[in-house]
Amino acid sequence: MLARGSKPRNAPPRRRRPRWIAVGIVLLATPLLGSGKWARPENDDLHYPSRPLGPDAEATLLPPPPIDDEYFPCGDCHEGEPADPERRELDEHDYIELKHGDLWCLDCHDTMERDLLHLSDASPVKMEESWRLCTRCHAKKIPDWRAGVHGKRTGNWRGAKEYRTCVVCHDPHSPLFKPLQPKPPPIPAAPFNPSAGAASEEVSHEGL
Amino acid sequence: MKSVMAFTFYAVRKMLLGGSAYYLWLACLGVLIAVGISGYHEQFVHGHIVTNMRDPVPWGIFIGTYAFLVGVAAAAMALAVPGYVYHWKPIKDIVVLGEIIAISAVIMCILFVMADLGHPERFWHLLPIVGKPNLPSSMIGMNVMILNGYLVLNIVIVSYFLYCSYVDRPYNKVLFMTLMLLSIPAAISIHTTTAFIFNVLPARPYWNSAILVPRFIATALCAGPALMVLAFQILRKVAKINIEDEALNKIVEMMVIVLFVNLLLFFAEVVTEFRSATAHTIHMQYYFTGIGGHVGLVTWAWSGAACNITAFFLLLIPKTRKNRIIMNLSCALVFVGVFIEKGIGLVLPGFTPGTLGELYEYSPSRVEVMIAIGIVGVGMLVFTLLSRVAIPLTFSEPLDDNGGITATRGEPDSYRPDPMGI
Amino acid sequence: MKGSEQKKNTEVTQTKKQAKMQDSRSVSRRNFMKAAGVGAGALIGLPRDADAFDLEEYFQDHFTELSPEEIERTIERLERKYSKKYGKAVTVDTTGPNDDVLFGYGLDISRCIGCRRCVYGCVEENNQSRDPQIHWIRVLEFDNDEVIRNINFDEGDPFYDHEEAPAPGKSYLPIACQQCENPECVKACPTTATWQEPDGIVVIDYDWCIGCRYCIAACPYGARHFNWTEPEIPADEMNPNTHYLGNRPRPHGVVEKCTWCIQRTRHGRYPACVEACPVGARKFGNLLDPDSEIRYLMEHKRTFVLKAEIDTKPKFFYFYG
Repeated sequence: MLARGSKPRNAPPRRRRPRWIAVGIVLLATPLLGSGKWARPENDDLHYPSRPLGPDAEATLLPPPPIDDEYFPCGDCHEGEPADPERRELDEHDYIELKHGDLWCLDCHDTMERDLLHLSDASPVKMEESWRLCTRCHAKKIPDWRAGVHGKRTGNWRGAKEYRTCVVCHDPHSPLFKPLQPKPPPIPAAPFNPSAGAASEEVSHEGL
Repeated sequence: MKSVMAFTFYAVRKMLLGGSAYYLWLACLGVLIAVGISGYHEQFVHGHIVTNMRDPVPWGIFIGTYAFLVGVAAAAMALAVPGYVYHWKPIKDIVVLGEIIAISAVIMCILFVMADLGHPERFWHLLPIVGKPNLPSSMIGMNVMILNGYLVLNIVIVSYFLYCSYVDRPYNKVLFMTLMLLSIPAAISIHTTTAFIFNVLPARPYWNSAILVPRFIATALCAGPALMVLAFQILRKVAKINIEDEALNKIVEMMVIVLFVNLLLFFAEVVTEFRSATAHTIHMQYYFTGIGGHVGLVTWAWSGAACNITAFFLLLIPKTRKNRIIMNLSCALVFVGVFIEKGIGLVLPGFTPGTLGELYEYSPSRVEVMIAIGIVGVGMLVFTLLSRVAIPLTFSEPLDDNGGITATRGEPDSYRPDPMGI
Repeated sequence: MKGSEQKKNTEVTQTKKQAKMQDSRSVSRRNFMKAAGVGAGALIGLPRDADAFDLEEYFQDHFTELSPEEIERTIERLERKYSKKYGKAVTVDTTGPNDDVLFGYGLDISRCIGCRRCVYGCVEENNQSRDPQIHWIRVLEFDNDEVIRNINFDEGDPFYDHEEAPAPGKSYLPIACQQCENPECVKACPTTATWQEPDGIVVIDYDWCIGCRYCIAACPYGARHFNWTEPEIPADEMNPNTHYLGNRPRPHGVVEKCTWCIQRTRHGRYPACVEACPVGARKFGNLLDPDSEIRYLMEHKRTFVLKAEIDTKPKFFYFYG
């Protein structure tokens, strides 16, 4: 029968139990827990060395979008006209939606020099330097902005950078970001459907 | 050397020659394999897009069945322990058949993995020396090593044993016992590392539980023996071999204990999940109750549990256990139940919903089913061919000295009864 | 071309001895493989695009083990192949990491409006497949109270489709590769086809990946994507400035992921998503440079990382600006 190779049947049963099995099981079944570290080559091992990166270059300030020349320079219409300091609904400028805290036009626009802005101490500010006015209230944003953490910055993380001043991104009359139409949503994962998929064979999907 | 040649020749001849029923059976398997090849061809031409696996559920029935079949490969271990550790004769007789089931199962495992790979032709990247395997950190890497080692070990054991039977020479006891006993920790290791593939991933809370490892071993020791009992019952009828009832009873007795452990572990898992009811419970919820109309696995979940529990009680009561028909039925239930628990209930809920909450309900595509059928066909073919060689050698009287085999070469069925000749 | 400059550089820095050692190792590995399985390998592995099958490519070594000469040959071959396929001069860069650089990323969750400009900016820069669609960045929409309470990803909706974003009462959480310090995907990969570069970027060698998708299972952030079939990139939209470890066209059957635009950032530029963001919510810089914006935000803002409990140590920091 089967155990042709075994010893005579009447031999006394062997007492020894193979205890080493247990040891074997433990050894074989214990995975040496790997860490991610070793799979990370050292720089010296790599044969695709990098080019040295340049020093951090000076930042460039992106200019604010130009103001519509139908309305600017303001002096074209407002020259010589004394400003009415009364807070009121305007007949003109109805395209401007003023949604900036509790501000009103003449809080920022100068009453005398109509092409300029002014700070609270009445010192004039050029339109192109409007950030000097913004930071009077939003001073806390300055360090963030300088560090590149507030506001969009493009170009190089090491090298020439493009900064944007406040009004590049924020409409000063209504500084909150306007909603955008989002780009199309991703296509959800779907079972194989040959008529829609890349493979154009006549195959029908049958689930189990 | 000469005898090795003769043995090889004998084996090949046994595999190729047989009665018409044998050829019919081979033809059936050929059809299954052809279905698989045609499915694989389709996947080959279009890529894995023809499967229903997608980024949220990157593994489907290929890996599910793989995890299940690794368990089936435990068949060998389930017999090697009573047979060779406790030297229990009725089981010792059939250990080789268990090993053959293990070989077939491991071959199917490897084929399932190959079918799953996006670039199977790059498999050599996994191998030591020629490739760059990520050991021991990657559990798939570990598993590939150990699984292939287990396959080689079983092939060596079976062929050495059969060769010794063929030349009618006692096997080298130390060598044979060493290999046989080595196959036990090796079997444990393949289940362990397969479980580790899943449970070492903190990204997937459904699997990230140490209990998965004992559960893998428990399910393995259910599915393997269940399949084995069924296979033996079939072989008894078809090949008219003498397998003692006692052996089957012993296997089933062992199985029912393990089945209890398995149910207990599963129960513990379910209670832990639902009682703690953290955000991580969602996977088990999806499996058992479905989420928001996504109920794809609910029927499977409950029928799987029902199969296992029914089988447990049927096998627990000695009266029903000893009834052949009920025993067969229960083994079938265990086999199906474990397949559902592991092949479906392990992989899929782990991915549903995904790590970012995307809920994609996977069910296999036609191509996946075709490939799976083909691979199962290959597995059955391997089992058929190997057992055709093995059965006459293990279940017949000793051959005569001038080579009973030589004498049988001309007329295989007349000289001595050929069990598989049908 | 940048590529050839790079190669010269490579040859100079590499000591001859090292090169020789590397070379012999790779050559013997290849010879072994050729002897062992050229026939079998080619049979199993005939790729879908039979023109592209190339023994040279098949026996190519892992990228970190290629000698400078082999890198040069490989790059030439790839540039030829891609240029032919897309009808324009495609360059494949191999610039390596800088010693004094460890990249970090910041995202101002209080600014993001969920417009998905970053998603599509990334697709165009990094040559992601359009059909089937692959997006490396996924933007999840949450109810505001959900974000305040706790981020449960199962409550997030990536498929929101509004006329305008942000929708009232909603917050947005864009997610891509977190470039973890302790990357689960790298630990999982059975072939070391993915690894972490010394500057912190987790990269994939697309010619070494076997497509087992274990990394997809292992990644807690859904950052990895599989090419289920041949990726499709319209030739006129294809970005010809590519990096070997980054945005070069991928074959089918391999995994891909965000590399923080390695082809840009290794040359000092910002990633494409940073440039695409209309609200300036995305920040990028060198964690080793105390003056960098990423260090500034870590020191001055409230930051958090996703799934901190898993301890993957992401280098992607969400913050409230």
